[in-house]
Amino acid sequence: MEYTISTIAPIFIFPFMAFVVNAFFGRKLPRQGDWLSVGAIFASFLYTLRIFGDFIFNKFSTDYYVHKVFNWIDLSYGDQFFKIDLGIYIDNMTAIMLLMVTGVATLIHLFSTWYMKGDERYGKFFVYLSLFTSAMLGLVLADNLLLLFVFWEIMGFCSYSLIGFYYEKEEAGNASLKAFMTTRIGDVFLLLGILGIWSVVGNVNYVDIYAAISQGLFEGHTVMGISLASFAAFCVFMGTVGKSAQVPLQVWLPDAMMGPTPCSALIHAATMVAAGVYLSLRMYPLMELGEVTHIIAYVGAITAFLAATIALVQTDIKAVLAFSTISQLGYMVLGIGVGSYNAAFMHLITHAVFKACLFLSAGSVIHSTHTQEMPEMGGLRKKLPITFLAMLLCTLAIAGIPIFSGFVSKDRILGDALYWGLYAGQNKVHFIVPMLGFGGAFLTAFYMFRMMFLTFFGEPKDKEVYEHCHHEHFEFNRTLPLIILAALTLGVFYSGSLTGQGEIKIFPRAAQEWFKILVAAPEVKNFESYTKEKFDFADTREEKVWEKAHYHHQSGYAGVNPDNEEGIHHAHINGAVASVIIAFSGVLLAFFLYIRRLMSPDFFVNMLKPLHRLTTHRYYFDDFYIGILLKKGLLVFNNALAFLDMGIYDRIAIDGWAKVNNWIYRASKWFDDVIVDSIAVDGTGTAVNLFNLVLRVLQSGKIQFYFVVLIVVLSGYIWSLNFIS
Amino acid sequence: MSGLLNWVLWFPVIGMIAVLCVPGTKVQTIRYVTLVTTAITFLLTLVLYASFDTEVGGMQPHLSFKMPWISQFHINYSLGIDGISLPMIILTGLLFLICTLSSWTVEKNVKAYFALMLMLQSSVFGVFMALDFFLFYVYWEVMLLPMFFLIGIWGGENREYAAIKFFLYTFFGSIIMLVGIIALYYATGKGEDSFNILALQGGQFTEMTIHLFGTDWSFERLFFWAMFLGFAIKVPVFPFHTWLPHAHVQAPTAVSVILAGVLLKMGTYGFLRIAFPIFPSAAVEYAHVLAILGCISVIYGAFCAMAQNDVKKLIAYSSVSHMGFVMLGMSAMTTQGMNGAVLQMFNHGTSTAMMFLMVGVLYERSHHRWIVKPDGTKGYGGLYTHMPKYSIIFIIGMFASLGLPGLSGFISEALIFLGIFNKFTTITVIAVLGLLVGAAYLLWMFKRMFFGEVSDEVKEYDDMNKREIGYMIPLCVAVIFFGIYPMPVLNIMRASVGELLTLLAKYN
Repeated sequence: MEYTISTIAPIFIFPFMAFVVNAFFGRKLPRQGDWLSVGAIFASFLYTLRIFGDFIFNKFSTDYYVHKVFNWIDLSYGDQFFKIDLGIYIDNMTAIMLLMVTGVATLIHLFSTWYMKGDERYGKFFVYLSLFTSAMLGLVLADNLLLLFVFWEIMGFCSYSLIGFYYEKEEAGNASLKAFMTTRIGDVFLLLGILGIWSVVGNVNYVDIYAAISQGLFEGHTVMGISLASFAAFCVFMGTVGKSAQVPLQVWLPDAMMGPTPCSALIHAATMVAAGVYLSLRMYPLMELGEVTHIIAYVGAITAFLAATIALVQTDIKAVLAFSTISQLGYMVLGIGVGSYNAAFMHLITHAVFKACLFLSAGSVIHSTHTQEMPEMGGLRKKLPITFLAMLLCTLAIAGIPIFSGFVSKDRILGDALYWGLYAGQNKVHFIVPMLGFGGAFLTAFYMFRMMFLTFFGEPKDKEVYEHCHHEHFEFNRTLPLIILAALTLGVFYSGSLTGQGEIKIFPRAAQEWFKILVAAPEVKNFESYTKEKFDFADTREEKVWEKAHYHHQSGYAGVNPDNEEGIHHAHINGAVASVIIAFSGVLLAFFLYIRRLMSPDFFVNMLKPLHRLTTHRYYFDDFYIGILLKKGLLVFNNALAFLDMGIYDRIAIDGWAKVNNWIYRASKWFDDVIVDSIAVDGTGTAVNLFNLVLRVLQSGKIQFYFVVLIVVLSGYIWSLNFIS
Repeated sequence: MSGLLNWVLWFPVIGMIAVLCVPGTKVQTIRYVTLVTTAITFLLTLVLYASFDTEVGGMQPHLSFKMPWISQFHINYSLGIDGISLPMIILTGLLFLICTLSSWTVEKNVKAYFALMLMLQSSVFGVFMALDFFLFYVYWEVMLLPMFFLIGIWGGENREYAAIKFFLYTFFGSIIMLVGIIALYYATGKGEDSFNILALQGGQFTEMTIHLFGTDWSFERLFFWAMFLGFAIKVPVFPFHTWLPHAHVQAPTAVSVILAGVLLKMGTYGFLRIAFPIFPSAAVEYAHVLAILGCISVIYGAFCAMAQNDVKKLIAYSSVSHMGFVMLGMSAMTTQGMNGAVLQMFNHGTSTAMMFLMVGVLYERSHHRWIVKPDGTKGYGGLYTHMPKYSIIFIIGMFASLGLPGLSGFISEALIFLGIFNKFTTITVIAVLGLLVGAAYLLWMFKRMFFGEVSDEVKEYDDMNKREIGYMIPLCVAVIFFGIYPMPVLNIMRASVGELLTLLAKYN
């Protein structure tokens, strides 16, 4: 397909224009302009379909396209050269991301028209929604890290606004502040990473970074004693840690639940957290070069496990989902760390679909019951049958039950992790990484079904809540998004084989492997031929400059060293079997505890009291950050510094001059009167006189007098010049 | 064409005379006369922009103006602009127009107030246009006079202290600068060009020594530091910053806006116009000192801002922090860094002006500025719910100030960091922290003032009226437009900055 700017830019421009129009005129439009936002994102979706279709039907093309759109900044003068070009980068991964973002966002927009109906800030919600989505689309389309950073931060602003959407609540203010500041820590690191890359490559275009890596440009550069590649890779990864809520910056995400539920769906599924993982995937060659993949694997595994344990003890339905998001993001990051590039990206997509559906379903429940507390729910499946079914399918998917999408992607990550931990010839200590992964998988199956059972099964626990809950009927803008998303949780959409590993085939090879064939870690050696071209906006304004290059995809398992074929095979078979057993045992445990009630959950709580306390306090991360680092550390330090500045430095060192002057004044007066009498008109005398006058002003406050003196002094200087010359 | 600069420079004085001719009781007439004057002046600065040739690196030949003034000392009345001064001149024109509108509510001695404002405007133009060192110094000093009275008469409860402090600090710096000027006068042999800033440039003092206190000193180094002191106090760079919080807190709104928006830039402008080109080798040699001081200003200002309970004081410290970025960018002496620094001067002018104006709008309603009152209760609360228009404009200004991409602050800070990373890596890594703390103090302030239930006190306030929204709109447009597309400003400056860098590159 011929790509031109007119076939691609609209993907970003439609929602952005919807934002602009709604921001200024939304209130005057019918229905406060919601149709404009929904229509715009749907139009983007249609445009994306075209690109996606091209990539998938064009014999699984692995071309990438770079289009320099715009010369943003040009500071060149003489032999000084500095330019920043903005452009679009499209390859298979972009196409899949775009389809996911626009698709999921369209359904979330549609759902919002039902969920937010009657809210006094209905129009405003769609303004933010449109900006948020367009920023995400811009981020995915960007061809360089700086543009990515721009949209990255704009998304941060949108999440700030959406989390603080109910701004009359004090907690909303706290939550939005916390979300923005925590992610900003990651952002600052990302900026440092960009600076580091820039200092070597000369710009931050993806293709140039890949080319620089393949040409070995990073070698020999150091920053503060560590290699620049490691520094940059670590900093970029910290961006992911912030945005994708990894330990230790995961604290913002649970609080982000203060926003309306559809915005949670957007933040947690399709946009913000996905952006972090997307960044690390794009910069994967840098991560390998900088040798930070071990750190990534550990961060991911720890996050996946810790968040899962916290989710066990939550009673708020949205909080369970929030921690499950953190945990699932941990799996993606783990996947990147162990080199399971393809599966990590696949999990990003499958997770986006089922998590969006879970949040929308939760929204449907909350809107019907007016509570978020699961202990007040129960038995809702009779009242909300469609929501129940949708949520059930998604829960099966996230729990990793075969034939559902979550199994396909998560199993592959775990299989690769197992290989990485056992067979990849590393220290056996690393076996802890797959163990944490499998442990987290077990907990995921358990807590998700606990949520399902508490919400939809059993007897209604709060009669009032149950009575007030209306029977659910088919409503276009409420149930349709749920149905579509729930249908997409089936594994066949992502892989024709049952396990995602190709062992049990259902479809012919091409259809079965489409995801694997399309997505591969960028092989930097294929970018070697790329020549840096000084792009001049003026010359090529009219033509469409497409640079086209080919990179071949790896066969086999992307990223994992394919030398040990047998090891890979074993790891994957063992991993798949273990995943299935673990998932089903998690479900069964939940079933026995919450449906059969063979044992009270309290038994475990009592047995593991210290652990229970740890998890209910979220491992004291928040207490440590806010209670100690912030209140005991930063604020005390700030106050001390401010006191030092105004109370000590300014009052003593600066105002003290007045006192010193006073002494000089007295001394000189004495000197003047007694010794020199009236002849002292030399340099010192003048200076001292000046001090006197200044002091007199200080004491008497006669400002006007001072100006007379100023003029006299100035004239004196001019006069003295005259005298000298 | 060469008269254009004279028109820009003297038109505010004409307005001032007109204001003085109006009887003091006709308050409304005085306001309108000032408004018309500042509006025409602003249009004249735009005419300057229209006739500006962006390809010329140095002074614009067709706009320069020169006339003997005190010929026995070769002092000339010599004016000229280049790409570094033009953005500042346009900013001055815009901010004074906006300040006139925002000063509509001033009731105390209106005639003197507006006359002094116009005098201030003329002297600020003079500093940015003067090409004669003596003329520069005269305007630099004359500027203090209206400023002093504006703070001292129309200021807050502690105004005299703040005014004197402001005055003495700046005066201390300028006296030392004056010593430098006189030294240069002798060093050049009291010849034709001894006060000509352009002729002094180019590093002719590198080899010169001066005998003082029994030893030989490098003339260049010694007087680089003399100039440094004069300009650093104005910026203000740590440790010369303590006058700024006092002056800002006590000054009336419009004066705060001018102070932060324009006057601080005179300090960094002085570096770019005088200290760097006249003493290039010393500038290159001591770039790391400037970078370290800039870095300390960024971090120190940000941390101090976080501890403030007075909104104006908080923003005053944020100015210290943001001007530190300018110092960092200048010390980098690279294309990106230097352009970023000049762009940051412009962008900080618009965003900080927005912040001070917004605080002023709020102050007119509440008559206090406490985020948290001294007794521990909230000063405001629920402003977002009660004053939606005000909140939206405040958010734009705040996020421009904390460097959100898409608004003006980001691109200049990014350019500065891109410029400095290769040269002073460790300093960059530390200074980037300023972005983090910068977001923290602003958003924390916002949270405490705007979120939560509407307090009884806040219920009394009206949202912004048409006049207030009217003068905020140009600034909103500026921070958004130059955030998305900064090239119009960068285009003006890049040739002039390029020339300066070419000069400095010889000593690098």
